[in-house]
Amino acid sequence: MSASQSAVRSRAEAVKVSRTFDWLILFTLFFVVLGGYHIHYMLTGGDWDFWTDWKDRRLWVTVAPIVSITFPAAVQSVLWWRYRLPFGAVMCVLGLLLGEWVNRYLNFWGWTYFPVNFCFPSNLMPGAIVLDAVLMLSGSMTVTAVVGGMAWGLLFYPGNWPIIAPLHVPVEYNGMMMTLADLQGYHYVRTGTPEYIRMVEKGTLRTFGKDVAPVSAFFSAFVSILIYFLWHFFGKWFGGTSFTQSV
Amino acid sequence: MAATTESVRADAAEAPLLNKRNMFLGATLYVVFYAWVRWYEGVYGWSAGLDSFAPEFETYWMNFLYIEFVLEVITAGLLWGYLWKSRDRKVMSITPREELRRHMTHWTWLVMYGIAIYYGASYFTEQDGTWHQTIVRDTDFTPSHIIEFYLSYPIYIITGGACFLYAKTRLPTYQQGLHLQYMVAVLGPFMILPNVGLNEWGHTFWFMEELFVAPLHYGFVFFGWAALGVMGVVNTEVAAIAKLLKKDLA
Repeated sequence: MSASQSAVRSRAEAVKVSRTFDWLILFTLFFVVLGGYHIHYMLTGGDWDFWTDWKDRRLWVTVAPIVSITFPAAVQSVLWWRYRLPFGAVMCVLGLLLGEWVNRYLNFWGWTYFPVNFCFPSNLMPGAIVLDAVLMLSGSMTVTAVVGGMAWGLLFYPGNWPIIAPLHVPVEYNGMMMTLADLQGYHYVRTGTPEYIRMVEKGTLRTFGKDVAPVSAFFSAFVSILIYFLWHFFGKWFGGTSFTQSV
Repeated sequence: MAATTESVRADAAEAPLLNKRNMFLGATLYVVFYAWVRWYEGVYGWSAGLDSFAPEFETYWMNFLYIEFVLEVITAGLLWGYLWKSRDRKVMSITPREELRRHMTHWTWLVMYGIAIYYGASYFTEQDGTWHQTIVRDTDFTPSHIIEFYLSYPIYIITGGACFLYAKTRLPTYQQGLHLQYMVAVLGPFMILPNVGLNEWGHTFWFMEELFVAPLHYGFVFFGWAALGVMGVVNTEVAAIAKLLKKDLA
């Protein structure tokens, strides 16, 4: 093509074309990232996210933030560092939550008949907002990793507490002490997932009672910081525009 | 005055930069088709999909599998074959406006890829979790797998391949070689399908139950990351379109 020729005939048309591309890009990016993020999250933290009786004070709090900070860090590394768009983490989490909620309603409830208050997804939005806000205000990848990554891990349990608290009320059933969430799992039998592979809160940490969740959240925050660094650089590579001559 | 009128008429007769009708028709096709598939699962999953030795399983599920295999091979052959056969052999000499129009068409394909990836990687994959954690499987070809692995995954592979082929055969931007991140964005999710081999081998020989976070599934995770390659495609496209528009849009 000629270097001096423009593809558009006026500034107005250029703006219109540009806005059209914005929407096409946003739609595609949203759904492709949704697909990648969702398959990653459901297969690394999914079981803790699927069922309320897996949403304990220890492993759910530890695992979910660590495995979920990945895609937000990667997408931020492109949306902020190339375009100064401060919503990479929120976009990822909105996509993930959309994919999850559609599934929990139409499939977990609609196909296999589990009640939604037994299989609703975890809330990651508070951490995502803070992660984006820290990046926007600091403009620093390191500060975002350390402050934002730590907030991501620490905010997970408080962010979910209003939803999960009623299900962590203790109940006695057939002479056994359990939570209401455990009781849900007891009644809604998942035949393909035997009890022996259910990895929930166990071990000596449980004897410390009230300290379990904060300790787990703090450990999760620490690892989230490290994962943020790693995935920031993954994101940079995935955002590359290189060509190769052969495969 | 006459010249102006002619110019306006010429503009009006020209094909639109973005064919919105095609885009909405394409999106509707995916959504309506998958709504029908979901209806089919709802009706025949429970009534005919629990026992793979039952005759009704053969009727409603194995026949579905055979038919989709055939249709997918035909669709991929026709679509990819058409895109290759009708390639532009003088792609470097098209006008900037035609190039812009082709970028719009390319994005129509990418929008379809977004929809296809959503259904494959998100909708039908998580659905598989609740089905297999509820139903005890007695075959690798369960109702959930027949839809997820052998229908929704091939559909996004066919769509992704069409995106890549369209870009490679019609856009000057992609003539420098093979765009690495684009290949990753298309080939990575494609590799999820061969990884089904590992998944089924594991589930057949030592782990019949379903635990989604089991290491057996990490292959899917690794290849799922490849979807992030779409960011490289976005960056390439933004640079190409800004160059074509030659406008300061700030």
